[in-house]
Amino acid sequence: MTAWLLRRLGAALAIVFAVVSFSFVAIHLAPGTPFLPEQGRPINPAAVARLRDEFGLGRPLPEQYVRYLGALARGHLGESFSQRRPVAEAIATALPNTAVLAGAALLIDFLLGIAIGVFQAARARRSSDVALTNATLFLYSLPIFWLGLVLLLVFGQWLHWFPVGGVTDPVLYPNLPLWGKVLDRLRHLALPALTMGLVGAAGTARFQRAALLEALGQDYVRTARAKGLRESAVLVRHALRDALLPVITLLGLALPFLLTGAVLVEAVFAWPGLGKLAADAIAARDYPLVLATTLLASVAVVMGSLLADLFAVLADPRVRMVT
Amino acid sequence: MESLGMIHLPRTPAVLALALLTAAACSRRGSCRDEYCGSLVIAATRSATTLLPPLSEAAVERDIFDQIFLRLADFTVGGSTIGDSGFVPQLARSWEWNDPLTLTFHLDPRAHWQDGPPVTAADVQFTFESYTDTAVAAGDLTALAHIASVTATDSLTAVFKFRHSYPEAFFDATFHLRILPAHLLRDVPRGEWRTAAFGRAPIGDGPYRFLRWTPGESVELTADSTFYLGRPHLQRLIWRFASDVNVAITQLVAGEADAIEVLVGPANIGRAQAAAHLKLYPYPGVTYTFLRFNLRANGDSLRPNPLFADAAVRRALVMATDRERMLQSATAGHAKVPPGPMPQQWSWLWVPELAPPPYDTTQAAGLLTARGWRDSNRDGIRDRAGRRLSFHVAVPTSPLRRQYARLLQEQLRAVGVELVIDEMDDPAMAERLSAGTFDAALESWQTDPTPTSGVPQIWSKGGGANYGGYANPAFDRAVATAANAQTLSAARAAWVAAFTTLAQDAPAIMLYALDNVAAVDSRVTDVQLRPDSWMALVRNWRIPPDRLNERDRVGH
Repeated sequence: MTAWLLRRLGAALAIVFAVVSFSFVAIHLAPGTPFLPEQGRPINPAAVARLRDEFGLGRPLPEQYVRYLGALARGHLGESFSQRRPVAEAIATALPNTAVLAGAALLIDFLLGIAIGVFQAARARRSSDVALTNATLFLYSLPIFWLGLVLLLVFGQWLHWFPVGGVTDPVLYPNLPLWGKVLDRLRHLALPALTMGLVGAAGTARFQRAALLEALGQDYVRTARAKGLRESAVLVRHALRDALLPVITLLGLALPFLLTGAVLVEAVFAWPGLGKLAADAIAARDYPLVLATTLLASVAVVMGSLLADLFAVLADPRVRMVT
Repeated sequence: MESLGMIHLPRTPAVLALALLTAAACSRRGSCRDEYCGSLVIAATRSATTLLPPLSEAAVERDIFDQIFLRLADFTVGGSTIGDSGFVPQLARSWEWNDPLTLTFHLDPRAHWQDGPPVTAADVQFTFESYTDTAVAAGDLTALAHIASVTATDSLTAVFKFRHSYPEAFFDATFHLRILPAHLLRDVPRGEWRTAAFGRAPIGDGPYRFLRWTPGESVELTADSTFYLGRPHLQRLIWRFASDVNVAITQLVAGEADAIEVLVGPANIGRAQAAAHLKLYPYPGVTYTFLRFNLRANGDSLRPNPLFADAAVRRALVMATDRERMLQSATAGHAKVPPGPMPQQWSWLWVPELAPPPYDTTQAAGLLTARGWRDSNRDGIRDRAGRRLSFHVAVPTSPLRRQYARLLQEQLRAVGVELVIDEMDDPAMAERLSAGTFDAALESWQTDPTPTSGVPQIWSKGGGANYGGYANPAFDRAVATAANAQTLSAARAAWVAAFTTLAQDAPAIMLYALDNVAAVDSRVTDVQLRPDSWMALVRNWRIPPDRLNERDRVGH
């Protein structure tokens, strides 16, 4: 187990290193330069030159790369060009917002997805199953930003059930008691989390339905039925336990989806998370911030995959620890 | 305390939640009913990153720190930048010219920093030294280059010495400098101002105090009830940051924001018009947009451009574009075709003597034919000596400019000219402009209240933003005359001469100068907007007591 873990961690480290290295070269070679004023404003060339010099952008690219890796090894992510603060501070502000959004979306994704999948499997090939299959396929094929805009328009702008953006209400929030603050945050979380969660749930439901139908055809399920167990007990206690294993793997694979989805959803809902931070950083050619968000995303994806494998191993002894 | 009975009965669980939240907020902090209540939420289309004035010229940051930091004198709506008649006292109670090069300001003894100490002439001297210190890496410093020194002769007297005498000296001394607190910033190394904590929690001398900053989300200011020029009516100003203008307008239409600086485009204006709770405020725009020709070869500033070095070709392209029709199509009339490089805020320059060049495709085609550009192979595009009359235009992410690029493409094709659109983001476009690696570019420029600072930079020989390499001594002489004109009418005559020369040389196609249309919640009254800084007069805006809503009373 330890050797397996070490091998996987080593591979994860190599992947992260490769992603960071590629990103470093790509962002520096991309057209455009940092430190520009707002579009259509005159530039102070001396100020731009001074900042470029201060951040070492005039040095050869290999030297910048080595310096960046050296700083990274010491735990320094650098200073954000556009945010005018340390990158670590910018990340520390945005990360909790994305974590809350991704966590809530993941919860909706799996709770709703598994519930729909089980419901469909239990009523396979009946009209409700067909209807749900079409509905989940439709939902899964929707561009996430488009679904976000529709939810925002209907439930935010027209019905006023939920706020149309932000993490809190800037007028009310500072003056609310604790329970009010929690309620306010939940109201603001609802639409962006639903946007990400619903699309994910549609995929999870399809996956869960197929896994459960396969499990229901196994010998041990027939044995359970032959023993006279109620169908609900057969479904939940026997078939579902087995059918949940592939879904655990899906959990790890959901992370990249959540991170890329966050970029779009955070823009639609003015949600100040990592996705919005990364998009703004790219637009400003804020090299340190782009690299830090890329690093964080690659670590999250690699670790998510590792944890999913680990859970699968722990949940099912038949799964062998091989790399 | 506001009772729950005052709140409209909720119809849905979500509205009930909002009502509960409001009630909770009211019950926690009481309520407000007088002339000095109300919260104004401003929907901003980008986040602020610093509130230290020398470091930023971004609109949202300017809007915020204009309420925190004062100038020596303030610019008036429609005021002239020549002389000092267009200004009213702000930090300075009075001023006088000792000689043509010496301007003395007498500070108002009532002015104080929000942490207690009085504002002194030493602060003024410190501010000038900071703005001009290269370690601060301030933005555009062209205007301050004319000021030789600023000294404090006593605690309330600041003396400006100019390098030479010129009509807009007073404007330069006051408009570009927000006075900073020396006692709070003197010990912060200027090389570290970029990341200084002061930039995220500033202490100023203006009508509003900084209250809180939630990075990426909002900045909140609260009225300084002791402000010596009069207590602001609105108690709280909250800037709410959205990722783009569409999100910001959605917040506005949904009632989650109260004001926005500019409704970009006819569709957004239509959305705001349809919202009964919003009132629209048109005011003169500060930008103008043009298609600039690179008169030098793409990527080689030493060689002339094979197409655009020829003024006749440039003039033909100007005449081949129906700018009025494009404007109606793209902006639904919320703009004007400028006869020169001018925004609508320079209203005194929109005179009949200056008129946009005519739209005349026959004459345009004739000019091109006369220069040897003919469609010899009948493919619809003119050519000469084996070279097609085709060029690339760099277009940034602005949807309006992308639409214009397509309209231009269509119109130029009608006279046998091929325009290839290269879409790119803003940093990529800025890099190509400064490197000269472009044929033509669709640019938009924001302007100061005076043409004197921006026009020479963009159009005069040696100007830092004269990316196309346009040069005409007659134009430069006229600009110099305008900059030194002692009266508005003399300045106007010189600018007309300069822009007439520019129109003849046609280094660009002047496309549109937008109207600005702001939207503000109709419960807010006494709204007056200033083109150079739309919220500069927000301390006079108010919400009458009978129009205050529950949210306005929260936090008092």
